[in-house]
Amino acid sequence: MALLLVLNPLPFHSPVAPPAQIPGWATDTTPVRQPKMKPEYQVALFKFECNACHGIIPPPANTQVRTVTQHREVVLKHGINTWCLNCHHPQNRNVLVNDRGEEIPWDQPQRLCAKCHGPVYRDWLHGAHGRTNGYWDTSRGEQSRRKCIECHDPHQPPFPPMRPAPGPETLRMGPQGPGEHGEVHNPLRLTGYGEGVAAGYLEPEEGN
Amino acid sequence: MKKYATFLWDCFRLSFVGDWRYHLWMTILTLVSLAGLNAYCHQLVHGLVATGMTDQVSWGLYIANFTYLVGLAAAAAMLVIPVYIYRNMHLHDVVIFGELLAVAVIVMCLLFVMVDLGRPDRFMHLLWRFNFPISMLTWDVIALNGYLLLNLHICGYLIYCAYCGRKPSPVFYVPFVFIAIVWAISIHTVTAFLYVGLGGRPFWNSAIIAPRFLASAFAAGPAFIILTLQIVRRFTRHRVADDALLALRRIVQVAMIINIFLLICEVFTEFYTDSAHVASSQYLYFGLHGRHGLVPWIWTAIGMNLVATLLLVLPASRGLRVLNLACILAIAGIWIEKGMGLIVPAFVPTPLGEIVEYYPTVHEIVIGAGIWAFGLLLYTIFVRVSVPVLAGELTYDKRAGRSVQMGLAKE
Amino acid sequence: MGDSREQDTGSAAERNSSELTRRGFLSHGVVALAGTSAVAAALAPLAHLKRDDIPTIEEFLQKHYKEMTAEDKERVFSRIAKAVESRYQVRTKLADPPPMAGVEFVYGLNLSRCIGCRKCVHACVEENNQSRSPEIQYIRVLEMQKGSIDVETSDHHYDPPLVPNSAKYYMPVQCHQCADPPCVKVCPVEATWQEPDGITVIDYDWCIGCRYCEAACPYWARRFNFAEPEIAPDQVNPNMAYLSNRPREKGVMEKCTYCLHRTRVGRMPACLEVCPTGSRKFGNVLDPASEVAYILRHKRVYVFKEDVGTIPRFFYYFDERGSRYSEPIAPAGTGGSG
Repeated sequence: MALLLVLNPLPFHSPVAPPAQIPGWATDTTPVRQPKMKPEYQVALFKFECNACHGIIPPPANTQVRTVTQHREVVLKHGINTWCLNCHHPQNRNVLVNDRGEEIPWDQPQRLCAKCHGPVYRDWLHGAHGRTNGYWDTSRGEQSRRKCIECHDPHQPPFPPMRPAPGPETLRMGPQGPGEHGEVHNPLRLTGYGEGVAAGYLEPEEGN
Repeated sequence: MKKYATFLWDCFRLSFVGDWRYHLWMTILTLVSLAGLNAYCHQLVHGLVATGMTDQVSWGLYIANFTYLVGLAAAAAMLVIPVYIYRNMHLHDVVIFGELLAVAVIVMCLLFVMVDLGRPDRFMHLLWRFNFPISMLTWDVIALNGYLLLNLHICGYLIYCAYCGRKPSPVFYVPFVFIAIVWAISIHTVTAFLYVGLGGRPFWNSAIIAPRFLASAFAAGPAFIILTLQIVRRFTRHRVADDALLALRRIVQVAMIINIFLLICEVFTEFYTDSAHVASSQYLYFGLHGRHGLVPWIWTAIGMNLVATLLLVLPASRGLRVLNLACILAIAGIWIEKGMGLIVPAFVPTPLGEIVEYYPTVHEIVIGAGIWAFGLLLYTIFVRVSVPVLAGELTYDKRAGRSVQMGLAKE
Repeated sequence: MGDSREQDTGSAAERNSSELTRRGFLSHGVVALAGTSAVAAALAPLAHLKRDDIPTIEEFLQKHYKEMTAEDKERVFSRIAKAVESRYQVRTKLADPPPMAGVEFVYGLNLSRCIGCRKCVHACVEENNQSRSPEIQYIRVLEMQKGSIDVETSDHHYDPPLVPNSAKYYMPVQCHQCADPPCVKVCPVEATWQEPDGITVIDYDWCIGCRYCEAACPYWARRFNFAEPEIAPDQVNPNMAYLSNRPREKGVMEKCTYCLHRTRVGRMPACLEVCPTGSRKFGNVLDPASEVAYILRHKRVYVFKEDVGTIPRFFYYFDERGSRYSEPIAPAGTGGSG
């Protein structure tokens, strides 16, 4: 018996998997966008203030949808908001414009967005929308609030889809895969709404 | 005191004495126990990763066996109640075997809990900060240890009295017998409450669990004793009347019928309602989303229970061969049903709907087998020692003449 | 163990009880020896125990956190810091930030905004020194079916090239820091308790590893160290506290503590800091000006498994579309920057 046990008849083989490789971006706290908070336009190495050109070029007559000849990198997919000058001030391109035609400074974009997105703006004011980082207790440290355009591209506002970080790989989890759950007939899911489609761009959400 | 020490020493010596079958049996049990100890040492070194348990299914074979054995332990009460409350003297001579069984089984229960602990070295923390009466686990600690002490006292006292050759004084054991009856029911109830009180586990969160526990315990326990008594009367000179076995048969019969009835109640409620809470039962009985780990087990258990019940109801089970078959089926069926069938499905799916199946590892199974072997070893010794002592073959007075004892040893 | 029964096996023949004879003495001796060596062999795997696995007298006698005096804490904390340094080569000072007066923490999560990117999961692991192997994560992100709040139809293992999937919504679940926590109720040794600021903590040095709390939690928020937790030394976060993210040992439970080593000094928890969409909101619910207080007052709030009666301090909320016109929008200008 003793001999038998000395031979260690029950060796232990660990089922523990090696640590998963987690990409660095998964824990990166940088906001998805770092827009310039000033009216600056860059072509190659040259940086211009917007009015460097627009101070000279007269504003177009806003009568019909045109194909832009400049700024062609801008893809405007902002729902029914299809006019540049809905947001950009017609005369002073270094600023944005409010409903009364008055100027909104470039670093106050939330006041522009609030023109249409009132409820979201209100939530944002109270911190119920958007990122708040740093200290929850402002008496102990600084708190930062992100503005609209630090998450949303003003020309294509829906939050950009992204690659998900690696999923769980727990001990003895066994084969697990997406979509294993069978489905009985459920009237609530008969619409087949966007099934299997990565959303975001495809499903512009009103009121964002 | 010296007399008591002599008593213990005699018991110790007596446990080594027997014919070759006895020694073979004891050797096998010892080997299995040691294998279990060996596997447990691996578990101590590597942690509970040596078992098949996961964060998803965080209790497995150990707690399943613990649950089943708590039921078995209460079987003693089912022998005691007829004798002391209903004055049914058929069972009088066998009560002690039930109580000895309770002692051995409670020791197994405690071992199963110990091996389930992640930090057994901190066991003493239970004494320093005992979350009583809030945590049901503390109730269980009290209930099990109390039951162990009660039965140790009753058996120890009766056997010691027999050893000393004096008549046991009822004052010193009858009150304890009555306490033990209530206590036997409480160990079950408290163990059931351990599970029933968890709102996050709908599979357990049902009032019927405690009655089902009792019913199945009162079936499996006496069934186990029926088998034991036959072994006792075959291998020792202790006489066990058929009447005693048949009295036990009646208990098993009724308990099995109630057990099946409660099972039907449970299954009906779950599946006819078909609410979101059915998932665990669905997994247990039919499989869920392509996972069927427990389905063959539970149907085997149900099949065994049904056949056992049928056999017990038939007059044929007054014959010992049929009765034994029914008992074996009932014990195995309830072991599966109360063990794996009650513990594991509550964890599948998890409270967040994930399905991870549980398969015990070799180490886990060997540890479990080791504890069972150790429990049987204890019980064998208890029976081995108590039979001649109670028969008056080994007493303090006779000890003086060594020859008498040798004669006994060669029985 | 029932070791010494062993002896009968060896000598098949002799069953005599006259141990006074030489033969009897010898056979008993042989048998006892065989028994002892079998037990020793059975115990052989214990030789692999590491020194750290065996509790020292000091560790064995360590008091429960709540019973420790200031001096006790100082001694224990420096011992733990030393152990961490020898194991991970990371110099650390174990903190023990007390709960702040007049603060009760609450967490809000915007289900309309979460895109299921799982960044919170990994930021949490990095912050809280969870075991990387085997993997322990406090946050589970569920990909839910639209038209259902039933977690059983959810998918934990989704892995599309891009999230969100417009046919789904995403629900991260972590410890809800319940006001009536079932995990605390069931613990037999009071190794886990609720702090005055609402955070349920564990004394990792007191837990006996029975996993009853894990069975009791309706949110599957507790994790057990089945194996020795493994963290690469360069991944260890040196900012650690006794009750939160100090490295754990095998055999004990652990759980989310709302990053109390951060939040009790006024900072946001790590899962919130990393959230790219701002779906996570944290703060002091007793402060009416806090974000969470505003959300609870004004937004549509959903409490997951409210029916289990644990009264969570974690809630989900939704963005309604164009409602509440009766409420005035604050005049422009007041909400410049912040």
